[in-house]
Amino acid sequence: MHSDAVTQHEFVVRGNERAAEGIWRLVIESPVAGQLAPGQFMNLRVPGDGSHILGIPLSFKGANAQAQTVELLYAVVGEGTRRLSQMVAGQSSTLVGPCGRGWWLPEGEGRALLVAGGIGLPPVLAAARMLADAGIGFDAIAGSRTADMVLSDDIEDLARLAGADGRVITCTDDGTAGRRGFVTEAMGELLRERAYAQAYACGPNVMMAGVARLADEHGVACQVSMERMMGCGFGACSCCNVALVAGGYALCCTDGPVFDAREVAW
Amino acid sequence: MVSTVSMAVDLGGIRMRNPLNTASGTYGNGVQFEGFYDVGATLGAITCKGVAAVPWDGNPAPRLAELPGSAIMNSVGLQNPGVRGFVERYGDYLQGLRDRGCQVICQIAGHSLDEYRQATELFEELAPFASGFEVNISCPNIAQGGAAMGATPEAAAQVMSVVRPLTARPVVVKMAPHDVAEIGRALEASGADALSLINTIPGMAIDIRTRRSRLARATAGVSGPAIHAIAVRMVWECANAVTIPICGIGGVASGADAAEMILAGATAVSVGTANLYDPTCVPRILVELEEWACGQGVSDINELIGAFEC
Repeated sequence: MHSDAVTQHEFVVRGNERAAEGIWRLVIESPVAGQLAPGQFMNLRVPGDGSHILGIPLSFKGANAQAQTVELLYAVVGEGTRRLSQMVAGQSSTLVGPCGRGWWLPEGEGRALLVAGGIGLPPVLAAARMLADAGIGFDAIAGSRTADMVLSDDIEDLARLAGADGRVITCTDDGTAGRRGFVTEAMGELLRERAYAQAYACGPNVMMAGVARLADEHGVACQVSMERMMGCGFGACSCCNVALVAGGYALCCTDGPVFDAREVAW
Repeated sequence: MVSTVSMAVDLGGIRMRNPLNTASGTYGNGVQFEGFYDVGATLGAITCKGVAAVPWDGNPAPRLAELPGSAIMNSVGLQNPGVRGFVERYGDYLQGLRDRGCQVICQIAGHSLDEYRQATELFEELAPFASGFEVNISCPNIAQGGAAMGATPEAAAQVMSVVRPLTARPVVVKMAPHDVAEIGRALEASGADALSLINTIPGMAIDIRTRRSRLARATAGVSGPAIHAIAVRMVWECANAVTIPICGIGGVASGADAAEMILAGATAVSVGTANLYDPTCVPRILVELEEWACGQGVSDINELIGAFEC
């Protein structure tokens, strides 16, 4: 049975500011901070205007259980996220979480390879922290469309967690920052140079499909964090389906958002 | 406020301790809400997700779009594990709800008369925990059967003629948002114990850039507070046409919304879409409803059913 009793919590906005073009950094204070596992998400309600009713499901970058703070990044893509970007420090609302099944540690011995595309970076950072805490070395690739959208501070965090032995590659589609090209090109190079036990990816669907294919070609297990429109975030409505290779659908909110890439019908 | 109002209602033989029910498909099978409040101690009844004789995959993604003005549209298409899978996964939990005074209504889905027959037979055999059944003849999101099964009084009565002889338990029929008086009368005549309405209203949402539907299917079901007034009107029309009780469904998000349904003629009221975006709403709606009934100066909420004056 799904659902390990998802609960509702209050949260207070501690910071909410622009982090890059179209991307905002939100820091909230909430009791949920102490319960989050890497790769899980929470569904935030934006108070005010009742014309937009659904919550905003966001994966998190990091959480501090002691300070009860959670750091999130989100792209402003619609009415809900536009209104979220208008919330100011001190404002409060409710969230539902922790939701879903997050990342798991590599099953075999060896390094990990992390791949993030655009706003897929926050959960990848949560994976990086999980790996660093477990003493597992990793390399990482962070891609963006263009220089304005690069989350430089967060990529620095990634580099810090990767340590001296870890390689972190930034790329942009148009070459205005870091390498020019897609994350899959850099990934191909790294896969030829080093051996990996596990890949972790989050980004646009087409990117994750490419990452999953490359990983599979090199015999590397791959976890992907999927994104879907969600009604509830806790398995009540069955709206966020992910097609499976085995046939049928899983639910992104309770069976995921992290899936074994080989199980997903891309 | 300390209530002196009796809140118990009888939905066609399903004796509910209060009028609150859940709209099928918006509430999982209850267990998903256990972290928010004590489901078994709160609801009058739960209506489970629609289940067919065999598992259905449901529709491709995307199944959901949000619309401006407090509405969403979905095209889930009754993804379900079949009666056996449903009973295996949720049977013990649902029996527990029943034991604690929450009635359990299992929803029967089918593509054809034969599939309704098979599903009902399986439920009869495998689901002793079911207080009654809701026959879904109004799902707008399946290619065959679904809404077509309830599109005309004749078709609706035909489904009842198959299901009715197979169970002695109360049978509620979930109706589509059209011709509710005429179809309601046909359902009453063919043995329905109660009616529930409305199902989602078929709609479309087109991405004008790609010229494609925002969902995987061209049409999908609209729900949420935006459709509440339409649902109240249909409950009223139906209540004026039949003598069996009605469960009012459509955009209920507050005690006031539930009260409107009751005044329009509903015996029970289901909360649907609000469960998704405000998962703790049911206990609040129950308190608000009780306060309203108290404020109306009645000793029994049944006195307010159909008490709309015009």
